[in-house]
Amino acid sequence: MNPETLLFCILFLPLGAALVIACFGRRHGSFSAAVSVGSSFAQMALSLWLLWGIWDESALQPQAQWLVFGDVRFHMGFLLNNTAALLLFVVSFVGFWIHLFSIGYTRGDPGRGRFFGGMSIFMFAMMGLVLADNLFMMFIFWELVGFSSYMLIAHYFERPAAAAAANKAFIVNRVGDFGFLIGIIWCYLHFGTVDLAELEVLAAANPEMLLTPISLLLISGVLGKSAQVPLHVWLPDAMEGPTPVSALIHAATMVAAGVYLLGRIYFMYTETALTAIIVIGTVTAIYSAICAFGVSDIKKILAYSTLSQLGFLVAAFGMGTRFGLYEQELEGARLFGVGAANFHLTTHAFFKALLFLGAGSILHACHHQQDIFKLGGLWRRMPLTFLFFTIAVLAIAGIPPLAGFHSKDAILFLAYEESQVVFYVLVLTTLLTAWYMGRLYFVTFFGKPRTEEAEGARESSWVMWLPLGVLAVYSVLGGFMFVYPPGLHFLIDQSVMHPVGGDYTLMLVISVACGGLGLALGYLVYFRMGAESDVVGRRLPGFHGFLRSRLFIDEIYGFYVRAIQQRVAEFLAFLDQILISGLLVRGSAGIAAILGVVARGSFTGSLHGYVYWLLAGMLLFSLYAFGIFG
Amino acid sequence: MIAPAVNFAPLTGILQWQQGLHVAVPWLNGALLLASILFPLVAGFALLLAGPKPGRALGVVAGVAFLIPALFAVWLWSTYAGFRGEGEYLFRTDISTGLDAFGISLKLGLNGISAPLFLMAGIVGLAAGLFAIQSGMERMHAYLGLLLIMLSGLLGLFASIDLFFFYFFHEFALIPTFIMIGIWGGRGRKAAAMEMTIYLTLGALLSLTGLIAVYVQSGLNSFDMITLREHLAVIPLATAVQQYAFGLLLFGFGILVSLWPFHTWAPRGYAAAPASAAMLHAGVLKKFGLYGLVQVAVPLLPDGALSWSPVLIYLALGNVLIIGFVTLAQRDLKRMIGYSSVMHMGYIFLGIVSLSTVGIGAAVFLMFAHGLSIALLFLLSASIENRTGTTDLFCMGGLARQTPVLAGFFVAAVFAAIGLPGFANFWGELAVFIAVFEFEKWLGVLVILGIIISAVYGLRAVAQIFYGEASDALAGHVAKAGAPSDLKGAERAPALLLLLALMFSGFLPGTIADSINRSVEATYRPVQVSLSGGSSMPAASQIRRMTATSPGFPWESLEVRDHHTAGLWLPPDQTDGGLFAMNGPDRTNNP
Amino acid sequence: MSIGLDSYLVVAGLVFVIGFFGVLLRRNTLIVLMGLELMLNGCNIALVAFSRYHATPANPMMEGNLFVFFIITVAAAEVAVGLAIIVQLFRLRQTVMLNELQLLKD
Repeated sequence: MNPETLLFCILFLPLGAALVIACFGRRHGSFSAAVSVGSSFAQMALSLWLLWGIWDESALQPQAQWLVFGDVRFHMGFLLNNTAALLLFVVSFVGFWIHLFSIGYTRGDPGRGRFFGGMSIFMFAMMGLVLADNLFMMFIFWELVGFSSYMLIAHYFERPAAAAAANKAFIVNRVGDFGFLIGIIWCYLHFGTVDLAELEVLAAANPEMLLTPISLLLISGVLGKSAQVPLHVWLPDAMEGPTPVSALIHAATMVAAGVYLLGRIYFMYTETALTAIIVIGTVTAIYSAICAFGVSDIKKILAYSTLSQLGFLVAAFGMGTRFGLYEQELEGARLFGVGAANFHLTTHAFFKALLFLGAGSILHACHHQQDIFKLGGLWRRMPLTFLFFTIAVLAIAGIPPLAGFHSKDAILFLAYEESQVVFYVLVLTTLLTAWYMGRLYFVTFFGKPRTEEAEGARESSWVMWLPLGVLAVYSVLGGFMFVYPPGLHFLIDQSVMHPVGGDYTLMLVISVACGGLGLALGYLVYFRMGAESDVVGRRLPGFHGFLRSRLFIDEIYGFYVRAIQQRVAEFLAFLDQILISGLLVRGSAGIAAILGVVARGSFTGSLHGYVYWLLAGMLLFSLYAFGIFG
Repeated sequence: MIAPAVNFAPLTGILQWQQGLHVAVPWLNGALLLASILFPLVAGFALLLAGPKPGRALGVVAGVAFLIPALFAVWLWSTYAGFRGEGEYLFRTDISTGLDAFGISLKLGLNGISAPLFLMAGIVGLAAGLFAIQSGMERMHAYLGLLLIMLSGLLGLFASIDLFFFYFFHEFALIPTFIMIGIWGGRGRKAAAMEMTIYLTLGALLSLTGLIAVYVQSGLNSFDMITLREHLAVIPLATAVQQYAFGLLLFGFGILVSLWPFHTWAPRGYAAAPASAAMLHAGVLKKFGLYGLVQVAVPLLPDGALSWSPVLIYLALGNVLIIGFVTLAQRDLKRMIGYSSVMHMGYIFLGIVSLSTVGIGAAVFLMFAHGLSIALLFLLSASIENRTGTTDLFCMGGLARQTPVLAGFFVAAVFAAIGLPGFANFWGELAVFIAVFEFEKWLGVLVILGIIISAVYGLRAVAQIFYGEASDALAGHVAKAGAPSDLKGAERAPALLLLLALMFSGFLPGTIADSINRSVEATYRPVQVSLSGGSSMPAASQIRRMTATSPGFPWESLEVRDHHTAGLWLPPDQTDGGLFAMNGPDRTNNP
Repeated sequence: MSIGLDSYLVVAGLVFVIGFFGVLLRRNTLIVLMGLELMLNGCNIALVAFSRYHATPANPMMEGNLFVFFIITVAAAEVAVGLAIIVQLFRLRQTVMLNELQLLKD
């Protein structure tokens, strides 16, 4: 089996599954689940086989011409290099375990067929996005993951909130894609190609060809897909979807696609654009960490945590790449940004998927009671979930030697080397991260059950805790290279700037201090001072209101849509009706009608009247004939 | 290695046999072309004369009459696409009609631009026919008969080489539309039919004047498109003549295609029209004007096109942006779809106005795609109206629970219309965007804004119809008329037909675009050469003149791939042959 | 004084004008119809006269006479139809006076 065939199968297996489900699986939930999970398993198996057994770490690019219009050619092809291989591993591996978890989670759901169909379409689209070898193809799958995300957010379509969230997600992403598409087209016309490999060669040979506007436009897609400020508003709302969807799409893989895109074309950014990336990422990281304190919905807390971590990734990419490309002209340093961002992306995919699946397990057991202050005391009732969730919380808090420590450490070290301001902000974010995770963790699992739903919770079945276990293993060991296929080590180990010596100690101390202090604060503030409701809401309602407001960004967008966009639309529709349709079109018909009324006056009905008209006509004609009118 | 997985060997065999037949029996395909126009015509008049017939016989006869032209269209298109010539006209027949003194005779034939549109007309015709057969209209025989006559005109206009018959077939298809709207239409049908009649007749009159102007000014005493094209390529008309003739054609065609601000007939007419008539009109007949611009007006009058293009840019931008916003404010489903169709015409106009082979090829491809997707939307909106008793978006809600299949189709149709990859519209829009951006950057940015606008109104409609809870109005209707049933098999068949066509051309756009590209190259290279002879040509100056090779059918290229054998490392510029040819040995380094 | 073309034309004109004023001034449909006939016959006289006076041996000029035959035939048909219409009108409305028959309005 050659690698091209394998990639081909990996890409198209889930599409085949989706087609089968679309044709036969709508009423047969279990059948659909079997097909979808089977295809996902095969995808994972083939990916692991490819990465461990077949791929020799050389870049691979099979390609075919797909469409020609005049001088414009579109290609389809795969580009398997280190970045793609890493995502291939993450997506197929995490994807399968989440699929397995979904079997338990969706039991009894009448829309099960639709759910698994959507999941399979997502796996197809995400794989296409990962493997795409040019920007047009990337855009195609970029849109398709957006579509599957839309379908899955709208899974509980009876709920108006879910429908609204789905629309919001797609439209906000379209806003990002608007810039992204302009960027791609401009890039195509500017460089004459959108092929990633050719672009890399061109950009390396002619650095003066890079244009900041193109770079910024290409980033615009990342803002939408990876939910960076100011296009972050869709991600918290997207939690209306089923929890496995949140885990797979809105935590582990799709939202990371933006970071993946950054790394895929890391050579396309000018220094200005990279600075913009750093600012955007840092602002997103701290902003979302603060927002996480304002919500009490377990999934929304995790969503803000995802946003914050994505901000980390984006900032890390920007710092590392600026360092490697423009400050430290070392061959090995070129990939510092890509390495740091992708390493944290990988570990984040493990522990965040674990957190979401743990939350899913809790929600499944507690009849979808999502408010953490209405849960409590779950550690005794759901011991396995509790254990795995604990691991994930420690991992995200950055406690050594768990996965999150290693990758976050590398990012903090980059910031330490690169920019003091960013470093302090990110350290503060780390502290806040541990703090709100502590809030979530202690309130949810400890104390007494505060509602009947929490009282009646039972541990879920093995299809649900087994994936948690596997992801927990990776959340523990994700910092060590032996758990990854050898082809990935180059990117997430050798391309990452790890601190050594005194720096290492410093980072270790900061990490442990922030993590420990944050968890302790979470315990002391939110648990010890009474977990029946949010303590900040009780003691400092004004500050709590500020946290909940999220700087009114949603409200501003809502105002724009309602009061500006819709008004303008209605005004234009009014003009269309009154001016064009009414005045011009109907008006000209009206003029004809008025002329008709006037002309009708001459039709008296009397024959003699007509004869006089005849006479007058003859007279006029003869006058003309005799040349009276010249 | 890869090839067997996607190598459609039986299909390749059929295509080869088809080519062999085309060479061996030269008259066959010309006869099929004529037959596909005459057959629905005869069947239509037969149904009209037969009078009302009870039972299924009527449906079966009409079904066959719709099916046969569609099959012929598929056959003719695949023969053309498989022929892979230089974009010339094939399947030509010339039948004298006794008007030879005026240079008029019934000349039929297809080139790469008209073949896909002919195919689209056949498919949409079949879908509209199938949907009409199950619709249970009163005086069904007359309805089906008129639809068949309309279909005959539609197929005829794309197959005509003679400009007179090109126009004649258009009128031939237009008249049944008026009758169908006036008799079988919905609320406000009389006024809508009247407005449409007068407006479109005005447009047709202007374009006829323009065509006659070309005929007279060329001095050839011939309406033959090919003769005119060859002659005018060598001896172009004077610029002043080109300007007024193109102006007449532009505004005549513009009215027929609902160019802003001549669009108001469209939403009102489509809202009142019966579903099948709206499908055929919005999907196919409306493309007459665009087809005329691409095939007649611009190639014959390039200087005229160039001098009118600044005006057309702003009008087409009005289509995209102003009508886009107007669409946002609609609360009636059919009017919304009508307006969205007007909006998408703006993309096609802009593709044409870029005067580059990319833009014009993309415009034709988008015409093909838009015809299928808008027909699907009108079909489904009629199905929704049958179930809810209304087209008011605020009086629906939660329909996906009772009608999941209908919801699935509608979501697919909406996503096709807003240009989701995987459906044909995406490729057309993408290439149009490239052409427009290359033409003028600011224009490209404004046009690409359309992808947001169309997503907003499309998804909003989906949510209002299918998601959430049922509105009070719908609950009241359900209490009276019973719970809505899901899409029946007879409704699914035409919807599925359109959806499959959209997805086929979305996944394998090369199959459709190859012939378009060849003919656009053949038609427009001389035009561009003649344009670049002068100065002050923003479009022509930017057109790069590389000769493009064609992508062709993927399965053909795969067959080529077999000869190359796997693992052969080809330099990047020779990789056109294979889906999985390696791309350069120098890319072994890692990032 | 010989009778020349002018005399014929004067008679023809008189007949035509009498017919015309009959059409113009009378209210009775029957008389209007007679007026029309007089106008036609006035034309006929003029045509025959032109035909006669412009003929040469080489070109006997039968066109005018031909015209007249046509007009006589058409006029006969017209009278037949017109009288039938008037008879029907009378049956329907009990009158043939034009001022009471103003149906062409609207």
